Amino acid sequence: MRFFRTQLPRRAATILVVMQIIAAFAPASDGSEKHATSKTDLATLLRIQTDVQKLLPQVRPALVAIQTGGGTASGVIISADGLLLTAAHVPGGPGKDMRVILEDGSVTTAKSLGLDKATDAALAQLKKREKPWPFVKLSREVIKAQPGEWCFALGHPGGFDKSRGPVLRVGKIIKQTANSLHTDCVLMGGDSGGPLFNFTGEVIGIHSQIWENRDQNVHVSMAPFLRSWDAMQKSQVIKVWGIGAGGYLGVATVMSDDVELEVADVIEGSPAQKAGVRAGDVILSVNDDAMTDQQQFTATVRSKAAGDTLKLKLRSGGKERELAVKLAQKPQEDSE
Amino acid sequence: MTKGETCARASGISTSSFELRHSFVIRKFVIRHSAVLLLLSPFFAHAESPRPTLPPEQRTNGRQTLAAVTQLKPLTLECAVRIESVLGRPICTATIVGTEGYLLTKASEVPDLDKARVRFADGRTAALREVHREVRYDLVLAQAVGVTGLRAVSFGAAKPLALGQWLCSTADVGKEPRIGIVSAQRRRIPGTGAALGIRMDEKTPKEVKGVRIIGIASESPAEIAGLQENDVLLKIAGEAVAQYRRVHELVNKRQPGEVIEVRYLRKDKEETCRVRLASRTKVLQNWEGEDFANGGISLRSDNFPEVLQHDIPLYPSDMGGPVATLEGKVVGINIARVDRVTTFALPVEAFWPEVQKWMQADRHPPKAVLVK
Repeated sequence: MRFFRTQLPRRAATILVVMQIIAAFAPASDGSEKHATSKTDLATLLRIQTDVQKLLPQVRPALVAIQTGGGTASGVIISADGLLLTAAHVPGGPGKDMRVILEDGSVTTAKSLGLDKATDAALAQLKKREKPWPFVKLSREVIKAQPGEWCFALGHPGGFDKSRGPVLRVGKIIKQTANSLHTDCVLMGGDSGGPLFNFTGEVIGIHSQIWENRDQNVHVSMAPFLRSWDAMQKSQVIKVWGIGAGGYLGVATVMSDDVELEVADVIEGSPAQKAGVRAGDVILSVNDDAMTDQQQFTATVRSKAAGDTLKLKLRSGGKERELAVKLAQKPQEDSE
Repeated sequence: MTKGETCARASGISTSSFELRHSFVIRKFVIRHSAVLLLLSPFFAHAESPRPTLPPEQRTNGRQTLAAVTQLKPLTLECAVRIESVLGRPICTATIVGTEGYLLTKASEVPDLDKARVRFADGRTAALREVHREVRYDLVLAQAVGVTGLRAVSFGAAKPLALGQWLCSTADVGKEPRIGIVSAQRRRIPGTGAALGIRMDEKTPKEVKGVRIIGIASESPAEIAGLQENDVLLKIAGEAVAQYRRVHELVNKRQPGEVIEVRYLRKDKEETCRVRLASRTKVLQNWEGEDFANGGISLRSDNFPEVLQHDIPLYPSDMGGPVATLEGKVVGINIARVDRVTTFALPVEAFWPEVQKWMQADRHPPKAVLVK
């Protein structure tokens, strides 16, 4: 899919592994059903329909199609003076000229400002014009975009098509991570950089990545935008996972046939490897808390900050041992 | 079994390790902390714990959400039937449009109705009699032989439907409901003819008799039929070919879904294969394969006088089935899976007036109905 990130995995197996790694960023699950949205009734669906149809005329004019040398993408205007949000992999770098097509088909240009390559967030500036640009607001309450909430997506999948117009998708938020939202609003190439909206018509996400399944659509949340706003306006490039991702251990786990938490792999150079954790070790406890499943383990590690030390109790070949591991900062994915 | 399950099973430990080692390059970097950044990040405050991942049953097309449309079952699911091969392999879905067994389905999926049959929800099967085939709409009107007392769909109007309107359809060849919305403007989809999915040598050397293949599109008709790079095309549908342009002409003028015979030379041996053609747009836009399309793309995905675009998660085998509003009025028939985000339905106004005439003509005088 050339219009999405080029390193997109194409096979099911690898796709799932990426899911697993991303899952490490998911904040601790409270494990309860209290927020679970109960059965949806017809009235709920019809209310969603009414709300989407009411909001569409307000938000549609702020959607743009973006054409770069590398392909076609989307973006959304968020200020009257023409600030544009898109995905970092769309311009690829600061100071890039992009062709921009508005909903009515009129063409203008934009220059990319700064971008956060680690989270795929980018800012651009439309060419100045007399008339204010149509724009939408972005949501500053990132925490509210939680699993179960309805949302809708706009974009130009496959590129701008006058006779088709922008493509709408209505769905639900499936997951919230430190820097992203996962939804079942199905995306494809050309949607990159397009907006995900909540039901007050605010932007809550920017389309970023897909994996194979229809429920695997990833949007950059507003968190990296809000966090790096000043840097991005100054056309700076951010390459590290700044903060908020918690401590980093560097192991992949799997549930063994005996339903024990087993180390599937240890990343080269990671704190885990340096401390002597090996693939095949069974993780018995962390800081004396018995570990029973992957989610619990991930949550425990993530709840500690970089620099904290974990006491791991492991078993391999029938022998138990204890290790102390000092957590590090999560390294960035090498995206170039 | 859903794709997700397949996916989960495919992820063994060995593949995990592979991916982890190869896709992440670990490097040293500077941590740029700043007090301002800390304040701006709501996650650092840990004020509220986000909810856990939404379980599949609560998603847009999860069991709990679909409970909202259960009452539509008699109006949608019960009017959808499965078209299968005589060996029982599912081909596509059909919509019952007349109580005497009249049904509509996607014509390019069933070039030969003699080799197909209909299976009803209760397990009964029946042979199919072709009544009228219309290439313009890619529809075929057929009659289930010897079956009466069926429940036919009740058609509503598709014209007033605006972007964001909920729609309901049937998946798993007519067995399960799915919902989605009208996702783009109604429009005509121009046609581009049919294609094999090959790149040909424009300057095949003089000493070679025929046209050499220099590239094959992934999941294309040519690949499925077993054609390979360096095969030399000799005859297309019986006509000897010497120029790549002629191959293109012969193929392009045909209909997607049609089967043609291709005679070719491989390693000095002449062989013949049968290729089922697809829309040229489908082949060109998916040269590298369709793995993000979720279940693939319909053989014919273009050349429609008018379509209603929606985002209901369906498969090519669900084409031919009804699309209804949440009031249970059928407003169209699914006609093509196009890509990951696009499904086309023919709006009722585009075909129903004509289909009624075909049915009328077929009833008068009544045809003898064979009971098997």
